[in-house]
Amino acid sequence: MKQATRSRTFVAALLAGFAVAAAVPGRAAAALTTPQMVDILKIVDDRQKNNGDWRASAYIEQKEKDKVDVVYETEYYRRSSDQKFMILFLKPKSSAGQGYLRIDKNLWFYDPSVGKWERRTERERIGGTNSRRSDFDESRLAEEYDPTDEGEEKLGAYTAQKLLLKGKSGIDLAFPMIRIWIDKETKNVLKRQEYALSGRLLRTSYYPKWKKVRSESKGGDVYYPEEIRFYDEVEKANQTLVMIKAVDLKSLPANLFTKAWLESKSR
Amino acid sequence: MSKIFVDLTIAFRSLVQHRRRTLFLATAIAAVTALLVFLNGLTTGVRETMIDTATTLSTGHVNVGGFFKVTVGQAAPVVTDYKRVIEVAKKTVPEMAFVVHRGRGWAKIVADTGSMQMGVTGIDVRSEPKFAKVLQLVSGKIDDLAEPGTILIFDNQADKLGVKVGDAVTISAPTTRGTNNTVDVRVVAIAHSLGLLSTWNSFIPIETLRKLYQFNEDSTGVVQIMLERKDVDRNIPAISARLRQALEQEGWRVMAADPRAFWMKFQSVTREDWTGQKLDVTTWEDEISFMTWTLTALRVLSFVLLVILIAIIIIGIMNTMWIAIRERTREIGTLRAIGMQRREVLWMFLLESVMLGLFATVAGVAAGAGIAAGLNALHLHVPTGLQFFLMSPYLHISIHGSALAWSVVLITGVTTVAALYPSLRAARLRPVVAMSHFG
Repeated sequence: MKQATRSRTFVAALLAGFAVAAAVPGRAAAALTTPQMVDILKIVDDRQKNNGDWRASAYIEQKEKDKVDVVYETEYYRRSSDQKFMILFLKPKSSAGQGYLRIDKNLWFYDPSVGKWERRTERERIGGTNSRRSDFDESRLAEEYDPTDEGEEKLGAYTAQKLLLKGKSGIDLAFPMIRIWIDKETKNVLKRQEYALSGRLLRTSYYPKWKKVRSESKGGDVYYPEEIRFYDEVEKANQTLVMIKAVDLKSLPANLFTKAWLESKSR
Repeated sequence: MSKIFVDLTIAFRSLVQHRRRTLFLATAIAAVTALLVFLNGLTTGVRETMIDTATTLSTGHVNVGGFFKVTVGQAAPVVTDYKRVIEVAKKTVPEMAFVVHRGRGWAKIVADTGSMQMGVTGIDVRSEPKFAKVLQLVSGKIDDLAEPGTILIFDNQADKLGVKVGDAVTISAPTTRGTNNTVDVRVVAIAHSLGLLSTWNSFIPIETLRKLYQFNEDSTGVVQIMLERKDVDRNIPAISARLRQALEQEGWRVMAADPRAFWMKFQSVTREDWTGQKLDVTTWEDEISFMTWTLTALRVLSFVLLVILIAIIIIGIMNTMWIAIRERTREIGTLRAIGMQRREVLWMFLLESVMLGLFATVAGVAAGAGIAAGLNALHLHVPTGLQFFLMSPYLHISIHGSALAWSVVLITGVTTVAALYPSLRAARLRPVVAMSHFG
């Protein structure tokens, strides 16, 4: 309960900070060069990189206007070497056994009630929530986007580097354009605004809690957001909360990222 | 020669002498002619708009489509080895103006605020210059449809999906093997709705459609053959039959002629016990057969109106001629007494009618054509409900020279025929009876 109150306070502080910053004109520092911005993105990516296997639980709470709130309990797995990814729904019962599997850069969805696989794109709303597959994956911003400097901005107590990222062509991305606020000190992502190419704001995301875990495969710490809040900017009343728990970096079985494995979970 | 000139002069003077009656009758005939011209122009305009829109959005004048069945129960609207089909079509149809090929599909379009089921047509926009001419854009650029991963939709669809140019939508559809596949596309153009055919249709680059359905480079949805204008109304059935025969001779299995749109054939095709490829040769009328009833209804309505108008002309002319003959009975008696033959009396009255009819119809045609041209120039917006059937946001009245000439000949002919019986009665009057007539 205390934790929830703290989170809300942090988000409120971020929002307030953003409002104040927007009212203060001018830039604090000289514009960054492209290599400098790419370096920042590389640091952001590197902090979240594991260079190994990953297993964690994710609780996804979806709030929609005029609908009952739904909490999904999931487990998700990823492998850095070949960018494989899988998310398996455990609860509620109606969604249990459903899952997404990403192999060879193709995202597949499996629904045990029909026993069929469907190929989806990165725009897919995971389980119908406002989260995307990339929200659970390692960050690949430097590889996938070209940055433009938008100066520094205060977000509450944090000084953030604000960058506008435009997706590189030929890459399947959840959002073609992202405005991102990166903590200057830690290089943690504080906030993101995701846009369509038309410039329409689709989603605002807040990252109030970052945690680290020791990775043997990386030989260093891996940072991950313990909590992410997504605010739907199209359907304003809708929001999604993602809580990531029980991170385990031990090696996963070789046959885990297969359709057969995911299918077996609902038999 | 001088005799005809004298007769014409007499007829003209007679018309001028009875100018009130002449003017009244001429006005009535001119009004009916103008109405006929207008109605004919409207029917022709709707038909031309329908052909133009249909042959831009969904069909060629003649099409070689077909179905590929992986299993007996799964049919996909696919033409494999389409380049060979085009070669055969080029050899067999010398009337061909040009040929294009398009992909056909039916998919779910998912946007951030809504989704809808609609047809997706795979198109190579660079090879279809007419496409850009027929569509009127609300926003975006048609040329951008040449880039893979793009889509053109219509304004009613954009409203329903809540998207504008630059927004992304996801297209989801089952492949021929039944596995659902998806592609993300960017809205690059939004066009004004063109009625029924645009309501359920959207356009994506053909390579994107191939990616969605996992087709190879040799496959397409339909080969669309466009003909020269002069062949559109006359030769299409013969061309279709010729093409069907040529394709069979080249070894393809060709479906029996069935005058329905391709999507209406899915049920019967999936019931049939065969697998592999079968081609289907259709005409533009087959492909929009579900909506040509509007054209038929308009034609029937025009015909009924034409019959009523002709009846009015016949009754009006006959009545007026009876009055004229009654008024001019003594004149006829005098003319007969001084030696004018019955045949010449008949000729005199008929000539008056022909002259009256000709002058009046020419005036009516000019008025009808003028009104039509004026309305076309105004670019009148038709109500949305009507757009649905007219397949155009604007009223288009098409006036052709041949139709004008036909109207002049028809109404003048009707006027002459209507005057025939009263003229015969006038010619049969005995001079003594006619001269002693008081009335």
